[in-house]
Amino acid sequence: MTTGTLTYFEDIVVDKIQETPAITVTEAHVAMYDGLTRDLSLAGGGVPDVLALCMVIGLGWRVKDPPMVVQAFVGLDWKVMKELRVGDTMHSRSRIISKRALRDGGLVVDERTILDQHDEIVQQGKFTFLVAKRQKEAS
Amino acid sequence: MADPRRYFDEIELGEEYESPGRTVTEADIVMFAGLSGDYNVLHTDAEFMKTTAFGERIAHGLLCLAIQSGLFTRATAPYATLGFGGLRWKFKVPVKIGDTIKLKAKVVEKKDLDKPDRGQITLDRTIVNQHGEVVQQGQTDLIVQKRP
Repeated sequence: MTTGTLTYFEDIVVDKIQETPAITVTEAHVAMYDGLTRDLSLAGGGVPDVLALCMVIGLGWRVKDPPMVVQAFVGLDWKVMKELRVGDTMHSRSRIISKRALRDGGLVVDERTILDQHDEIVQQGKFTFLVAKRQKEAS
Repeated sequence: MADPRRYFDEIELGEEYESPGRTVTEADIVMFAGLSGDYNVLHTDAEFMKTTAFGERIAHGLLCLAIQSGLFTRATAPYATLGFGGLRWKFKVPVKIGDTIKLKAKVVEKKDLDKPDRGQITLDRTIVNQHGEVVQQGQTDLIVQKRP
């Protein structure tokens, strides 16, 4: 069960699925991304794939549960299935697929899926986070 | 004008590239928070971060991943890239405001795909900071056009 304003390692429920709100990807997002990264976008209205990946992290904070107390982003394993175009509206679904306690926190593997307005899968993969425990173990 | 892009056929296994450096600034982090919507305290709350082991705000891991994607375009002539296939990535050391990162990359695999006009190039990529520490490391798969 999740209570309070933060979600700690102990609160995380394996297999729980959460959906985020949607966001329309605009020319402005692409222009900002190009300027910030110089990861020049593909011609013809394509959205850089890494931009969609960056935006899914932000969407992930907009779920009903209080935010996870992420201490570090450990890694990711990611696949791109379909190109996103300017004007498409993406949302994401997350499912916690495993959690493993460590001494001062725990590793949480979160499977994220980006879907477009047709509910087709655009990108999918696994994020691994280090999440804080509510109670530190006595040393 | 001659096409400056390099096609799948012309890219060889074992090619290595090194990018210029780039200093990650507070402005980069603030802009990335706005663009991505990731306002986690790790990146946006200077006072809270003084109380943590990091001691200060750190750059978003995905900001540095996105920056290295841009640094790649400055490390070598552009590939005739059609898309991004995927990546396997580890975040090892935090990047702090004022750190300077650069990309080192190497072509480690080339393979044909079902569509005959394209192939997949896998690169080992390492981001290092000004101290020579590896801050992020992984592999990326790029879908690259074959010469028409």
